[in-house]
Amino acid sequence: MSGYLTQQLINGLTLGSMYALVAIGFSMIYGIIRLINFAHGDIVMIGAFVTVGLVTATGLPWPLIALGVMITGALAGITIDTVAFRPLRGAPQVTGFITSLAVSVLLQNLGILLLTAQPRNFHFPEVMRQRLPVGQATLSIIDLSIVITALVLMAALVFLVKRTRLGMAMRATAENPQVARLMGININRAILAAFAIGSALAAVSGLMWGGKYGQIDPLLGFLPGLKAFVAAVIGGVGSIPGAMLGGYLLGLAEVLFVGLLPAEYSSYRDAFVFGLLIVVLLVLPNGLLGRSVEERA
Amino acid sequence: MLEVVGLQVERGRTHVLKGLDLAVGAGEIVALIGGNGAGKTTTLMTLSGLIKPRAGEIRYTPPGGRTAVDLTRIAAETIVRQGIVHCPEGRQIFTSLSVAENLRIGAYLRSDRAQVAADLARVYGIFPILAERRQLPAGNLSGGEQMMLALGRALMARPQLMLLDEPSLGLAPQAVDQIFETLAAINREGTTLLLVEQNASMALELANRAYVLETGSIALSGSARQLADDPEVRRAYLGVA
Amino acid sequence: MAAPDERKRRLSRPALAGGALLAVGMLAVAVMTHSLNDYLLTLACFAGLHVMLAASLQLTNGFTGLFSLGHPGFMMVGGYLAAVFTYPVRRKSYMMPELPDFIATQQWDLPPALLLGGVGAALMALVVGFPVLRLRGHYLAVATLGFIIVVRVLINNMDGYTRGGLGLNGLPLLTNLWWVFGWTALTVFICWRIKHSSLGRAMMAIRENEMAAQCMGIRPVRTKLTAFVIGAFFAGVAGVLWTHLVTVITPGSFSIMLAFTLVAMLVIGGTGSLAGAVIAALGLSLLAEVLKPLEQTFDAYGLSQILIALGLILVLIFRPKGFFGSREPSLLTGPGTQERYETVAQTGRPSQQGRT
Repeated sequence: MSGYLTQQLINGLTLGSMYALVAIGFSMIYGIIRLINFAHGDIVMIGAFVTVGLVTATGLPWPLIALGVMITGALAGITIDTVAFRPLRGAPQVTGFITSLAVSVLLQNLGILLLTAQPRNFHFPEVMRQRLPVGQATLSIIDLSIVITALVLMAALVFLVKRTRLGMAMRATAENPQVARLMGININRAILAAFAIGSALAAVSGLMWGGKYGQIDPLLGFLPGLKAFVAAVIGGVGSIPGAMLGGYLLGLAEVLFVGLLPAEYSSYRDAFVFGLLIVVLLVLPNGLLGRSVEERA
Repeated sequence: MLEVVGLQVERGRTHVLKGLDLAVGAGEIVALIGGNGAGKTTTLMTLSGLIKPRAGEIRYTPPGGRTAVDLTRIAAETIVRQGIVHCPEGRQIFTSLSVAENLRIGAYLRSDRAQVAADLARVYGIFPILAERRQLPAGNLSGGEQMMLALGRALMARPQLMLLDEPSLGLAPQAVDQIFETLAAINREGTTLLLVEQNASMALELANRAYVLETGSIALSGSARQLADDPEVRRAYLGVA
Repeated sequence: MAAPDERKRRLSRPALAGGALLAVGMLAVAVMTHSLNDYLLTLACFAGLHVMLAASLQLTNGFTGLFSLGHPGFMMVGGYLAAVFTYPVRRKSYMMPELPDFIATQQWDLPPALLLGGVGAALMALVVGFPVLRLRGHYLAVATLGFIIVVRVLINNMDGYTRGGLGLNGLPLLTNLWWVFGWTALTVFICWRIKHSSLGRAMMAIRENEMAAQCMGIRPVRTKLTAFVIGAFFAGVAGVLWTHLVTVITPGSFSIMLAFTLVAMLVIGGTGSLAGAVIAALGLSLLAEVLKPLEQTFDAYGLSQILIALGLILVLIFRPKGFFGSREPSLLTGPGTQERYETVAQTGRPSQQGRT
């Protein structure tokens, strides 16, 4: 394999890891209350800013910072569900979607109001920028940590969902909330757990995003959020393994689109992603691993 | 054990239950029969807390001399804790969970691990086919097997009172016989049953007492034997001319 | 059915009320044109354009129950298409070097540009709508969001015609309050007539229950596409008016934020109600303008969007049908019509899964 292609694959895996972490939240929340949470991308932004705040205020070691970011993200998710979405349970799906749009606008503008729209610099320590040779390509420590952290978190998530009581309660609630209540499951708690976990993962991907691209601003969450939604659709919205698969596929597809086509097409990458979304929605409405036929097409 | 007084329930704009009264004694099997839309399922859903009534009281006295509680004031997920389990219409097992997970989720609120393990073994003893298929997704089971799983799942909660909604629905006659035999056995071991059925003859055969529900209130009640011999009931629900 | 003379009487009240509204509006425009300064006149134009956009978005989102966010995309198509033709000829070769000669020598006036922008947007809607309108609920919403982004990317990249991300400035100032008022009135009138025609009833039938509508002989694909295309036509025209009001257009001129603001207007006013959309559009435009000086004085940028978002969430929670629901003020409808729409609006809920 040529060094160029290896390099593109590495980039695709890094990007895909971040997409996957965000897409998981989309799928978990959709799976449990059939809500496309448009504000999910803005949790990425919150994660990025909390990282900067924690680094400047505390100077804690990075693993602790990441933990702090995940906890803040989880709290943000819980707050959003409690304040905005819970009063609307049982309303038509589109009502929830409009609400999430409003929450997204609210978060972005709160960011502008409190932090100004000026982009800020965000730097990992210099050691993270070192590059390790991989064949003819190189792999920065940032990329390596992103991919490894993402894989560890996803493994932990799979364990949680498949092997714990909470995970079982969440899966039962996703399939049939009414009967889940008959089992004694507090479905509001199961839903909050989905929001908390999904948002924690999105927040940590905000940390990664900021570190990788070096600049953050209050609107930063929009595009990764929307693309992660595309990833979730590719995998089948509602399916957690689907979200992971979709994230990596989209990351690779996007990087290869830019890397393999002549340079003048590379600025079309966002158009490519949304073109892909429409095609997938129309041709494969349940995605690659989605289960039931919902109201998609 | 259970006493329902003047229960009124609205669903959307329809007034489904219009002052329902019924009682279930400890250890009994009580059948609730009636036509389509009479309000049978609504009754059970109100008892288990999924629907909150507009008026009326549901007094439940758990066995063992504890004080009575009004179920209309308690959330569905908490009513399970009181020892009441609702086995819903159409089985409604969790098809994406495995057979074993479906059974374990029946014991969701219980923390006595050893007891839960013993009950799991007991359910597998009653329905050996479930033990054989414990790792399969529950959606792969046949209709009869799914009904067994639904019953097993309900048993895993160690209920004092079991609410059963149409256990015979959509099953082959052989499977129905097996389910009803199991129900009798469950009752012999001390669980009280409140049974809603379209299949009135089967229900009256199994039950000690029965109520006939017509458009939202009780039209007739008595021992199962009495009702089975009642000419009106025979004509309307047993299909005997 | 009613006897002809009775029918005439029924129609006369709305016609009178509509005529009165038109006269009041024209009077207001005349007064404003003579008394307001340029800045305030521009604000009045924006308010009018918001009314026009909100009313035309009702065709899809309100009447037909299709949740589209695509309006800014169609405004972009209309605005750029017109800008290419109205741009001063002497600067064209410099700003748009790849323009073919037969366009480079043209410098159109506003009326043909409006028509071109509207028709261009409508054609785009036809092409995009055919596949995309098969999607339901929030999937359609996200797909139309994607459409906005795709349009932006395309414009960014067609820099020989559009000057890419730099945008086109120095466009002629052609729009005035009369133009805006005229088109706004026309848009509201046409949408009103559609709502009270058999086409409008077909749209609302699809909103309530598509399968049942199909069983009654309504062709959902055709009806949905019609709503989408007509809405896009007006969005395209509004894009042209807007562009020739601010005299600048960039790929970011019409953003997703605008789509959000329009949706907020529909939801607050009542999804399906034209009067609601008009009032909410005027109200929210006014609110934004009142807040603008506050934002500037206190360095509190984003405040108005925050308030709109909060207001929207509160309306969704406490008054999910908005202030008018699907109804219109009875002054503007004949007697009897009111009940019809009310029952439609009320029975809608249970079957609305996945729709507005």
